[in-house]
Amino acid sequence: MRMVLHSIYRSMFVSLFALALGACGGGGGGESSPAAPQIPAPTPSPTPSPDPPSGEIDISLAEGARFLRQASFGPVEGDVVSLQTTGYEGWVDNQINAPASSQLQHLSALPPPENGAEGRRNRLEAFFKYALENDDQLRQRMAFALSEIMVVSDQGALSNRPGGLASYYDMLSEHAFGNFRDLIGAVTLHPAMGVYLSMLGNEKPDAARNIRPDENYARESLQLFTIGTVELNLDGTPRLDNAGQLIPTYDQTVIEGFAHVYTGWTFGGSVRFNRPSRDYLVPMQAFSSFHDTSEKKLLNGVVIPAGQTPEQDLTDALDNIFAHQNVAPFISRRLIQRFISANPSPSYVERVATVFNDNGFGVRGDLGAVIKAILLDVEARTSVAGGIGGKLVEPLLRLVSLWRAFDASAPNGRYIYPQPNNDFGQAPLRSPSVFNFFSPDYAPAGELSDQGLVSPEMQITNETTTASVNDYLALSIYIRNSNATTLGNQAIRIDIAPYLALSGDPEVLLQRMAEKLTGGVISSELEAEALAMINAIPQDQPAFRVTEAIHQIVSSVEYALIE
Amino acid sequence: MINRRRFLNISGRTMLGAGLASLLPRQLVAADNSFSDYKCLVNIFLYGGNDSFNLVVPTSNAEYNVYAASRQNLAVEQLDLLAINPDNSDGATYGFHPSAGALQSLFEAGDAAVIANVGPLVAPVTKEQYLSGAASLPPQLFSHNDQQAQWQSLKGDASLATGWAGRIADQLAAETADQLLALNTSTFGTNLFQAGAVSIPYSVSTTGANTYGAFGAEAALGAERRAAFESHIDSEFGNVHARALAAVHKRSLASADLVNQALAQAPDLATVFPASFLGAQLNIIARLIAVRDRFEMCRQIFFVGAGGFDTHDDQNELQPGLLSDVADSIQAFQLAMVELGVNDNVVSFTHSDFGRTLTSNGDGTDHGWGGHQIVTGGPVNGRQIYGQMPVLEIGGDDDATGGRIIPTTSVDQYAGTLAEWFGVDTSALGTIAPSLSNFTTSNLGFV
Repeated sequence: MRMVLHSIYRSMFVSLFALALGACGGGGGGESSPAAPQIPAPTPSPTPSPDPPSGEIDISLAEGARFLRQASFGPVEGDVVSLQTTGYEGWVDNQINAPASSQLQHLSALPPPENGAEGRRNRLEAFFKYALENDDQLRQRMAFALSEIMVVSDQGALSNRPGGLASYYDMLSEHAFGNFRDLIGAVTLHPAMGVYLSMLGNEKPDAARNIRPDENYARESLQLFTIGTVELNLDGTPRLDNAGQLIPTYDQTVIEGFAHVYTGWTFGGSVRFNRPSRDYLVPMQAFSSFHDTSEKKLLNGVVIPAGQTPEQDLTDALDNIFAHQNVAPFISRRLIQRFISANPSPSYVERVATVFNDNGFGVRGDLGAVIKAILLDVEARTSVAGGIGGKLVEPLLRLVSLWRAFDASAPNGRYIYPQPNNDFGQAPLRSPSVFNFFSPDYAPAGELSDQGLVSPEMQITNETTTASVNDYLALSIYIRNSNATTLGNQAIRIDIAPYLALSGDPEVLLQRMAEKLTGGVISSELEAEALAMINAIPQDQPAFRVTEAIHQIVSSVEYALIE
Repeated sequence: MINRRRFLNISGRTMLGAGLASLLPRQLVAADNSFSDYKCLVNIFLYGGNDSFNLVVPTSNAEYNVYAASRQNLAVEQLDLLAINPDNSDGATYGFHPSAGALQSLFEAGDAAVIANVGPLVAPVTKEQYLSGAASLPPQLFSHNDQQAQWQSLKGDASLATGWAGRIADQLAAETADQLLALNTSTFGTNLFQAGAVSIPYSVSTTGANTYGAFGAEAALGAERRAAFESHIDSEFGNVHARALAAVHKRSLASADLVNQALAQAPDLATVFPASFLGAQLNIIARLIAVRDRFEMCRQIFFVGAGGFDTHDDQNELQPGLLSDVADSIQAFQLAMVELGVNDNVVSFTHSDFGRTLTSNGDGTDHGWGGHQIVTGGPVNGRQIYGQMPVLEIGGDDDATGGRIIPTTSVDQYAGTLAEWFGVDTSALGTIAPSLSNFTTSNLGFV
């Protein structure tokens, strides 16, 4: 059982829990009707209270920290207080309106990289810098989530294109709260994607040379980015035919149809198709003479006519994908999995997918409304019974939230960490393939698999990575902290100075560290183990005691979980 | 010295004690280490779909001309192919890609064989059956992850959450009960191939077992911290994800120091492995095999992986490097096995998502179906081509459509043959390869 250390917060937590239960019974328990596209109501406000005017005083430290661990890169000092003022919805609205950080801008402010490794390092630096410093937290989390769905990677042909990849990431940030149709348009025409999934340079068929269009982008964009391989209900469960069989969303002829659509495109600003500009910062452009003009078979039996321009074909094809009934449940489930839960209930997926299909103002594909529906849903704001709720925190995000909680920085002002993938099994835009570091359907054998549950992050969790993750976290706590005197100029270190004075009272110290990391939530078992460890350290070693307290929490299984 | 009691927590042992063993007849449980010999399988998975129709290519004029007409600008030059002289013949002659000289040497020495046109099948399929939609097929042909899952699990058109090596480990649980490490070890992280219903695979890095520095003897209070953490991960977590993570921590901590202590005493190998990730993976496997006796291993299956085979683009530029890495790494591994005196005990074999289209998309190929695989090692009845070489003609009898070749040998037959050599009882082969009974030949005879 979890408990909250601080008695004040405990009482707040209990009262919120009671309210949440009421909300669940009142509004969230039934099936929402697909015919009534409404943004699902967030946890209802409690009985009006005199202050503050927002009526959101019921957000406890624990609940606030939980929300910020789900929706941001982790709470920093003061974040929960601020959230208590704005309320969840106000916070989301503020985030949606916050200007987007630009990785490209960061790269252009640096001296040109001297080699490929330096360029890759600088691009990752932009990710860490913004995750740690900037205010557009939800947007950057959304871009990170989208970067694991619509994958491009610096492993392969783009290894020496940090600018192109930063531009791709910026494009995801820019569209994070925009319309999904615009997003897939921008993804499709981004030259980084064009190179990664080889739509760029794809030509019309040449029967005499047995050349037919490249099927790479056609297949993966349908399978992984938009609709998946089988027909889905609005609630994300697979549709079955009369014989109880799964229904494929497309066959090879449809793949070929899309492959023909995606012909004739190369880098924007090219003089000729075969003289590409190699400009990774502008959308691809089409050359009609390299585009196939035959009619093309698309999804749901749609055929687009012969003789269209590349741009017309592309518009029709992306409209055809966007109109597919799978898009809403497909994307909704994937985004829920990145923020809230590995195994959202069908009704949760349906509530979010319903918002995807209509944001309440007749607009389909409004990602701002979708992320708001995801974060404010009763299944996100309360714990799911049965011990199957929540998700593992992506390993790299455990490091980032540690760094945020303790205001990490390096004396040289940089964030130099070139190979996080070696320690954490992942890094932004560094997937081994378009299938991401882990699959949304990954289920380790055993209990999870037996129950039909998935746990995507477990795909990069094995005997090798649990050790390397733990090792790097320990390094980042015990060695690289503000008390160390022998660190290099570029070592990113956490700031423990404000807490050294607490070290004389291990209980107070541990409680304070738990507040910073989890809003004070810590199991009684972990609390006892951590206190025993802190007490084993002589009182005249305050930095050791502080770092021990931090490590006990950060290395724990419960810190790797947001339930 | 190794602490015997600690070992009991390693790998699947604990699970086994609580699970499968209690279900087995007593005499089977008692029959610990009923294998007196050592056998080892190494699965080399070529991620992305290796274009094996450019790895093994007909050299005789008639067949080469058909190939070249199909392959056009992606065809390997006839004179560049490295001729092989198989002991069996279908009338045509064949050669390896010029970058696969190491495989040519192994093949000619009788240490390697080609398994021709193998792929996921539920039952034999003719072109007519495929085109009419009458055939039972593995779902989502041509999709990477679905077909990787087919190769690794052999699930066919059924639902199956285990891999065929995982099921072998389950099947041989009693006979390998004294093994102190998991039967299955991966250098390529988590994979379906080794997932068992009961047995649990183990993961190592290319340098050995990763360790938790904060728990080490050199860390202040390292032992105490480790004890606290072990107590923590032994907690009764209420959440299913937490339990899954805690279980991996437990296995990692239980094995890491022992594996590394053993590896530290492994003999230095004279064999030099390629500097690639694949080479590094096969190198650590060779070292683990060298110290197998310290863990009382009589049966081991390793999983290694290499990426980059999804050559939609720039195939002519990329393929030489990809194939030379595979060939050179396999050859180095074979030499290491000879050096360790276990060449007659170890079989390595390739898997890949699918073969690729014979047609070109201009500078690359797309997702196909059947393809050739390579088996190497002392036990292999080498210098032979098993199965039927396909007709490499667009629109020909073996072409499903668009140059995607219909397999004539199933992965079930391929895996079943390996499983039988490994020691799975013939009566249990259907558990390992569920579709095996749909094919007339259950053992391909290559090993």
